[in-house]
Amino acid sequence: MLVLRPVPPYCKPDRRRDRPANPPIVAARPLQSGNAAANCLIMNTTTTPSTVESKSPSLAVRIGRLSLANPTMTASGTCGYADEYADFSDLSRLGAFVTKSISKLPRKGNESYRVIETRAGMLNAIGLANIGLERFISEKVPRLARMGVPVIVNVPGWCTEDYADVAERFDREIPVVAGIELNVSCPNVKNGLSFGTDPVRLAELVAAVRKRVHRCTLIVKLSPNVADVAVTARAAVEAGADALSLVNTFTAMVVDVEKGRPMLANGTGGLSGPAIKPIAVYMVHRVYSQVAKAHGIPIIGMGGIQTWKDAVEFLLAGATGIAVGTALFVDPASPQKIFDGLTAYLARKGKSSVQDIIGTLNTDSP
Amino acid sequence: MASLNYSAPSTSHAPRCRGEFAAVVIGNHRLCRDHYRLVLRLENFPPSHPGQFVEILAPLQAMDSDSHEIEWDFGRPRPPLRDQFLAADLPYLRRPFSIAGRRDGPGMAYTDIDIIHRVVGKATGILEHQRPGDKLSILGPLGNGFRVSERVKNALLVGGGVGIPPMIYLAEKLARRGMNVVAFAGAQSRDLVSLTLRPDFAVPADLLPVMAAAEFSAFGVPVVLATDDGTLGFHGYVTAALDAYLRCHAELRSEQTVVYCCGPTPMMRSTSVVAGKFDLSCQVSLEQPMACGMGTCQSCVIKYRPADAADWVYKLTCTDGPVFDSRDIIWP
Ligand SMILES: Cc1cc2nc3c(=O)[nH]c(=O)nc-3n(C[C@H](O)[C@H](O)[C@H](O)COP(=O)(O)OP(=O)(O)OC[C@H]3O[C@@H](n4cnc5c(N)ncnc54)[C@H](O)[C@@H]3O)c2cc1C
Ligand SMILES: Cc1cc2nc3c(=O)[nH]c(=O)nc-3n(C[C@H](O)[C@H](O)[C@H](O)COP(=O)(O)O)c2cc1C
Ligand code: FES
Repeated sequence: MLVLRPVPPYCKPDRRRDRPANPPIVAARPLQSGNAAANCLIMNTTTTPSTVESKSPSLAVRIGRLSLANPTMTASGTCGYADEYADFSDLSRLGAFVTKSISKLPRKGNESYRVIETRAGMLNAIGLANIGLERFISEKVPRLARMGVPVIVNVPGWCTEDYADVAERFDREIPVVAGIELNVSCPNVKNGLSFGTDPVRLAELVAAVRKRVHRCTLIVKLSPNVADVAVTARAAVEAGADALSLVNTFTAMVVDVEKGRPMLANGTGGLSGPAIKPIAVYMVHRVYSQVAKAHGIPIIGMGGIQTWKDAVEFLLAGATGIAVGTALFVDPASPQKIFDGLTAYLARKGKSSVQDIIGTLNTDSP
Repeated sequence: MASLNYSAPSTSHAPRCRGEFAAVVIGNHRLCRDHYRLVLRLENFPPSHPGQFVEILAPLQAMDSDSHEIEWDFGRPRPPLRDQFLAADLPYLRRPFSIAGRRDGPGMAYTDIDIIHRVVGKATGILEHQRPGDKLSILGPLGNGFRVSERVKNALLVGGGVGIPPMIYLAEKLARRGMNVVAFAGAQSRDLVSLTLRPDFAVPADLLPVMAAAEFSAFGVPVVLATDDGTLGFHGYVTAALDAYLRCHAELRSEQTVVYCCGPTPMMRSTSVVAGKFDLSCQVSLEQPMACGMGTCQSCVIKYRPADAADWVYKLTCTDGPVFDSRDIIWP
């Protein structure tokens, strides 16, 4: 099946014509044979033969112009640049792969210690260490092309041009990249203000990048370190984002009780893992109900997802895609297990498609 | 513009060089105060090299897709409740441990690997209570092992504390190659020496290598033991023992001798100084906090500058190492 891309309203037709016709972004793949296990599970758990689903539920979802075979994704920074996990999990079963943040120039990142475990989670202060745009294109893009799944590149920046230049380069020159995720939660940017916490600056940034990204789906990754995430979400959507992803990590600190100093060299770090999941679910639901639903904008939900139940919580709360981050360190195959569990859940609930449960959270008082 | 071409995902059936494995505990032996040897049995475990490590998921955290809540096996008594259980402060991430030995069953039907660990916190506090039959999930083998060149005839193995385990595995490999191997094992004190001392050997207080530790003597490798407080063997740091030994053994100061080292960072730094003083090449197995062990999180960095490089770069201890040439390291 080929996926046709609608002409986005923000693209002037004449601007689109001076580009070579783009190949289809993604040929949706049939559900993988890995489904067999899930099917068995369905057969075994179904009580009466008459209710046995002969067909697996459809897990296909759309994020902007991207068609994903299923909603499972990786969270930026927890899955490397490309196929680092290939020996540990079947990457071809992912709905989409999201890379580590790729900046215009290589970045060394912070001093060690960069991570420390916490209860049900961890803090990281990696400092966006990455090999930079040029090495990424020459060394990693060929590997990404071999993975057989849609690729989203996470783009950080320190000023508007940083973001826009990198995003445009991928949009124009690297067909295997189908989506751009703007990481607007960097703590240190021009003027000492973070794009992720100031809705005015965020809107300016998204609008500026939007002008230079025509082919790729533009995703804005929101910071949870704000009073009301719906405010920044609205700013991003009104400035032209195709999709939102949330949440990034929560600013946090761990103290070394022996030395009387912060454990991380950077002082603070970002909290991730199961510890943040309930807040993340709440934030996804808030953005969905206040902004995304009305605008028809899909959300990629993340924050502590480890099992299919976690994923279903996010889907019910309004997420269309779900990204697994920290849990990959513990179990690189968790997205595939989530896929199987989600398939069984949908079958048990008599749903033919995952789309039937997205945003269906019932918040009426009982 | 490159063309968009999704090739079919690789379907090669080549044997995996690493992966996730279910391990069954077949032994858990207390070696000394705080140190345990865990023997794990695995199936289809790929080839491994001394210096490589595995990432162990301390149990009590079920990773099935139904629940990630703590699952007690109610058929058995609970492990002793320690402070961290009462505070529900369970480990979340996996923990890295060096492979301390390996034995393959007949026809490679199974592989047993040894893990020697010191109980220092949450995960090791749980591993301490593993019993035969318990199951653990391990990822591995990870990282790059020690390099062994054909030219080398003499190997000096220097292990400090929890750096001793990889030296046991290395001693076996080098001894099988017919190399002349001497181990140096250091600990703070006698009750923290994580080796099985043979009752038939007295440990001398000088630098004479003896077959005193069963783990090394099994491969014909003699050991010089050193304790910081002098309660066993040489009185002083193991690096001082190495220094003194090399001063007396001029014949070892040649291109045919390599120093292999693992231990606490300050100990590895001073080992590299000693090796440098005698112009010996030295490989160190570094330890850094690791969240993934698979090269994805960028947490385990060390500063690296080879002799010909203008500037230092960060290298990942987990996938670029953990073994490095000591001259290339900028010590923290
Ligand atoms: C490549 C590699 C190989 C290794 N091989 C071995 C091996 O063979 N054997 C072995 O024993 N170890 C080995 N280690 C080290 C081992 O991984 C650690 O000992 C293990 O991760 C400890 O886990 P834990 O949960 O028991 O300790 P944790 O609970 O994680 O605690 C670790 C240490 O930090 C301290 N700490 C934690 N929080 C605080 C705080 N807030 N303030 C002050 N101090 C604090 C604890 O007291 C403890 O000393 C290796 C490490 C690496 C990187
Ligand atoms: C070690 C680590 C590195 C990360 N690096 C990035 C990054 O480079 N860019 C980014 O947008 N998010 C980064 N994140 C945030 C994750 O993508 C994700 O938003 C967050 O961890 C919450 O999800 P989780 O709880 O499933 O991990 C990182 C997280 C971790 C733990
Ligand atoms: S531990 Fe994650 S990159 Fe080394």
